[in-house]
Amino acid sequence: MENSNSAIENAADVTYAAQETATYADSGIHIALAAEQVGVFFGVPITNTLITSWIIMLLLAIIAFFVGRNLRVIPGRIQTFFEEMLSFMLGYMGEVLEDTKLARKLFPLIATLFLFIALSNLLEFTPGIGSLGFVESTRDGEVFTSVLRSVNTDLNVTLALAVIAFLSIEIVGVATLGTLTYASKFFNFKSVLGFLVGIIELFSEFARLISFSFRLFGNILAGEVLIVVIASFVPLFLPVPMMLFEVFVGLIQAAIFALLTLFFVKIAITKPH
Amino acid sequence: MEEIARVFGLNWKLFLVQTVNFSVLLLVLWYFLYRPVLQMIDERRQKIEKGVKSAEKAEKRLDEIENEREGVLKKATTEAGEILSTSKDRAQEKASEIVSEAENRADSLVDSAQQRAEEMKDRALRESKEEIGKAAILAAEQILRKK
Repeated sequence: MENSNSAIENAADVTYAAQETATYADSGIHIALAAEQVGVFFGVPITNTLITSWIIMLLLAIIAFFVGRNLRVIPGRIQTFFEEMLSFMLGYMGEVLEDTKLARKLFPLIATLFLFIALSNLLEFTPGIGSLGFVESTRDGEVFTSVLRSVNTDLNVTLALAVIAFLSIEIVGVATLGTLTYASKFFNFKSVLGFLVGIIELFSEFARLISFSFRLFGNILAGEVLIVVIASFVPLFLPVPMMLFEVFVGLIQAAIFALLTLFFVKIAITKPH
Repeated sequence: MEEIARVFGLNWKLFLVQTVNFSVLLLVLWYFLYRPVLQMIDERRQKIEKGVKSAEKAEKRLDEIENEREGVLKKATTEAGEILSTSKDRAQEKASEIVSEAENRADSLVDSAQQRAEEMKDRALRESKEEIGKAAILAAEQILRKK
């Protein structure tokens, strides 16, 4: 028993090592599921995705600051763009939730989810992301560590977003329906069938954490891997349409994340019958 | 579980940092972008609403004024017509009055003239009678003296 356990652990260690260094000497393709650590700050490992996410945050904050400060009653082009986008989002949320007040309250969350994920994915192929870095000598030879890495290829990020979305959905549900009514969706003692359905609902509620985080993570990472593989075969021209497609996928994923959060909120605030 | 966490590079510190990051981003965007932009949209909507309302009001007022003007014009026209017709009537009345008065006066003048003519005739007659009487008396006296 112990033997097999340690064997599994050993095997896992090997795969882990492969993923960590992930240098396939012959092909030169470098794929890592985990973000690479660049440094340590007060005990918090600073990974390349963390640095990139700070840059994304800074970009969004700067855009927000300049757009918010230069608002005019007669809008310019940039202001019109933001006004149209935000008011479209708010209008759509109001239609879905059938509650303008709740839509207003929930708007910052949904909009920020969309903007953060969308900008991260838009900048996925910015020159420098993935290519700026340093070479370290380790026991496995020279290892290249990039300083920047697409934000959503880190499960920490997508899981953080998923947990925030999940908690918001549950909190809004409880706040709207009341604790007892909300709990009765999952603990239904009126009939055996109802009870079973409730338990399934409870599981699917928590399964959202996984589906939310892995959908985003998987889509973006798969796109990166695809590009890396194609680029290793045909480095010129062929990756370009694929990159376009991946940027499109990135935008779609941002919309999916925000929309699913919105729809799950709508489900959460719907009274059980 | 630990294996999964290691393969995917899951780390609770990183997870917390990313959660805080997102929360900070949400607050920043709310404060600098969503709040002012939505406020601006609301403000503009109010302004447009106000503008539309005042335009409607102005149009209504214009209609009212137009109606009023028409009413006044109509009233003035009818009044003028009335005044004209009454003044015509009155003028005719006056004219006929004047004519009849003149006729009356002419009649009375003729009457009085006739009266006076008759009176004069009478007096002349009476006077001539008296004269004739006197002459007769004088003639008689003379005749008597001659004798």
